[in-house]
Amino acid sequence: MTHDEPQSAPRPFIRLVRLFLDRTFHGGDESGAGELDLSLGLVLSLLALPGALYSTLLFEKYSTLLLWMRGQHNFDPVAATVPDEYFFIVLSTVVTGAVAVWRWDSIFPDRRDYVNLVPLPISTKVIFLANLTAILCLAGVLAVDVNAASALLYPLAASSGQETFRYVAQIAGMHVLTVLLASVFSFLAVFATVGVLMAALPYIVFRRISIYLRSLIIVALVSLLSTSFAVPSMIGNLPQTWIRFLPTVWFLGLSQLLHGSANPALAKLGSLSWKGLGFLFFTALAGYSMSYRTYFARIPEAAAVISGVRRESVSWLFPLFDRMLLRTPFERAGYRYAIKTLFRSEHHSLVVAGFSALAIVIASQVLFAALSGGELNVGGFPSAEVLSVPLILAYSILLGLRLAFEIPVDLQANWIFRLLAVKRSSECIPLVRKIMLTFVIPWLVAFATPIYAYLWGWAIAGFHVLIVTLLSLVLAQILLVGYRKVPFTCSYPPFRDSAIVTVLSCVLGYFVFVVFISELECRALLNPLYVVPLILIGPAAWYVTSVFGETIADVDKQIIFDDSTPAPFELLDLEQRS
Amino acid sequence: MEPVLQAAELTKRFASVAAVQDVTFSLAPGQVLGCLGPNGSGKSTTVKMLTGLLEPSRGKVLFCGENIQKDLVGYRKQLGYVPEEPNLYPYLTGREYLEMVGLLRGMNSGRLGRKIDALLGLFAMHPHRHSPIGSYSKGMRQRILLIAALMDDPHLLIFDEPLSGLDVTSALVLKNLIKALGQHGKTIFYCSHVLEVVQQVCSHLLILRKGVVVAYGTTEEIHNDLHHSSLERTFMNLVEEVDTEKTAENIITVMETN
Repeated sequence: MTHDEPQSAPRPFIRLVRLFLDRTFHGGDESGAGELDLSLGLVLSLLALPGALYSTLLFEKYSTLLLWMRGQHNFDPVAATVPDEYFFIVLSTVVTGAVAVWRWDSIFPDRRDYVNLVPLPISTKVIFLANLTAILCLAGVLAVDVNAASALLYPLAASSGQETFRYVAQIAGMHVLTVLLASVFSFLAVFATVGVLMAALPYIVFRRISIYLRSLIIVALVSLLSTSFAVPSMIGNLPQTWIRFLPTVWFLGLSQLLHGSANPALAKLGSLSWKGLGFLFFTALAGYSMSYRTYFARIPEAAAVISGVRRESVSWLFPLFDRMLLRTPFERAGYRYAIKTLFRSEHHSLVVAGFSALAIVIASQVLFAALSGGELNVGGFPSAEVLSVPLILAYSILLGLRLAFEIPVDLQANWIFRLLAVKRSSECIPLVRKIMLTFVIPWLVAFATPIYAYLWGWAIAGFHVLIVTLLSLVLAQILLVGYRKVPFTCSYPPFRDSAIVTVLSCVLGYFVFVVFISELECRALLNPLYVVPLILIGPAAWYVTSVFGETIADVDKQIIFDDSTPAPFELLDLEQRS
Repeated sequence: MEPVLQAAELTKRFASVAAVQDVTFSLAPGQVLGCLGPNGSGKSTTVKMLTGLLEPSRGKVLFCGENIQKDLVGYRKQLGYVPEEPNLYPYLTGREYLEMVGLLRGMNSGRLGRKIDALLGLFAMHPHRHSPIGSYSKGMRQRILLIAALMDDPHLLIFDEPLSGLDVTSALVLKNLIKALGQHGKTIFYCSHVLEVVQQVCSHLLILRKGVVVAYGTTEEIHNDLHHSSLERTFMNLVEEVDTEKTAENIITVMETN
């Protein structure tokens, strides 16, 4: 007998736990093609980054020297930590929740796991326990990673004026416990939701509602992020406000309770956080056990093919667009493909939902600020803030769509586009522009126009909708400069070199597209002279992008299916050429 | 008769390695050319060059006497292709996928709908037409690919392992279909590992080994020239250097070793 194998092979249970953990981090795609190939280290670093950045910025806030120079002699470090502590709790909850939603499908074992693991000599109980262990490990790793940087830096920053180690340790202990528990709470909340729904609903129904539910959770998480600056100022009126229902406020209560500075209402909420955690833990466990029995153990009994019914209610829509908008066969096929991908591919839906949620949150805040400042001015002229709402929505949605187009879906299936689709970007860009505007113009016409018309009359509503439409068209054109892909069919772009520039451009673009334009429009309503620059912005931007497009070399206008970095050197292959 | 498809000294190099070298053949209307070869013999590379997915390093593919690279879109309008792997978009339903392919081919929507429904029925896929492709078995995906290749009535068909995953009935239907397509004047390039099927449906054979043509002619010619009792023997003689019986014995020996 040969003994080439390692002497201490890992036990099946540990190997299974590793398998489930790997699967969660590397995705559930059959081929693995189309996944963004980020190393585990990079993923963990990216997750830890927001906490690290914010903690670093806080050194400036708590610096005793800077406080002295600013003349803030009555600085109360304990009271000052409340908003920061709340921000870290929210950040921890949102990041962990978002990752759990992103990896929603990988949390539970699926048909592929069943086919691969059940025929092996391992009991299903071991598979169940291994997956559960992997889930708990994942919750732990996420909680530690998201909060790792802030656990080290924030206590140092917050205790700048204190010299005792005891004070630093107290702040650190309180902070670490609170944010870790908030992370675990967030993960368990998602886990419990998946488990209970899988147990309660037929699998087909669960799959159908899954995408909407995930989008809803993303919206809720982004909305939660927006509370991080408003909630700390509302803590004094806790019993009368709705914020007492936010789990993040319960954890703020826990933090203040541990610190010994909680008011009675906050202390009560602090104790609620423990109860909430316990409730979620047992709900998640029960939901998981039940769904394991109802779903995983019955996979062989379930029909392999999911029965589907054609939705006749919208079947008239595409033929209508064919007649009105889509001119070429490629546009007709590409439009259907792109719309279905955006609504059915979970990664793409989540990206669009995330950007839409961000837009709704920013727009709501701007609108609420305008309303509280009494700037609605019904019957007169709307303020720049009110005018900016559709611009915020259009900007975020168009940006989200542009990003979603870069995310590939089943790259191996793109052979059909390689075989039959167009060859030049000029044939593809009109299609992509139409898809983008499909996500802006309908709600602009259906909702924004009647609301603006009701409040400020048809003339202002018509003018505003015209401006938003025109500028959305221009923005789509700008976002598509240099674009030469059929959406979702090309590998990920090499974004590492340009990520920071892209993010900065997006932020700058927001100020130009939303803040500047709404201000200019507001002035145009008051003084017709400003209408001229407002109207000219569109054609001018269009002209500049067209001129820039013409400078692009002909070879760079060919449709591509592989977006890779240029080779550092090229083989001339002189032998062949001769 | 003027050939529909011609390969003239087709060569494809990846870096300095030649995957396919000087492959030359021609196909007239009604001919079914079977392409055989072991793994790594260059079959898939040849198919990719014939479909225009890969550009040859040297040589050319001619369709009705014209280099396909001159008008790839026009050439592909006349081409039906079934790839080796049934890679399809999993979240589209079978019908939606076919509709997309039909529109990309520029088919009229009325004609397209009728053809899709009729072919889905004939390939026993009608009950599953509104189910997502992600839930289809390999055989079902293969049937969708076959419908996609056939529905626009192309002049040239390129099949790369079309029987892969098909059940017995569907495989029999396809075998008869290929023969019938040949009789209706369609030109077919058929790649497969299944020698019996190639023998049954192909009028001509092209056998590749390490990227080079080792035999080309009508099925009878190749049989007669090599004096073997079966295509299997002919194939083994031409391309394989392995004693298959001895290999099988060796596998059993390793299995039984403690």
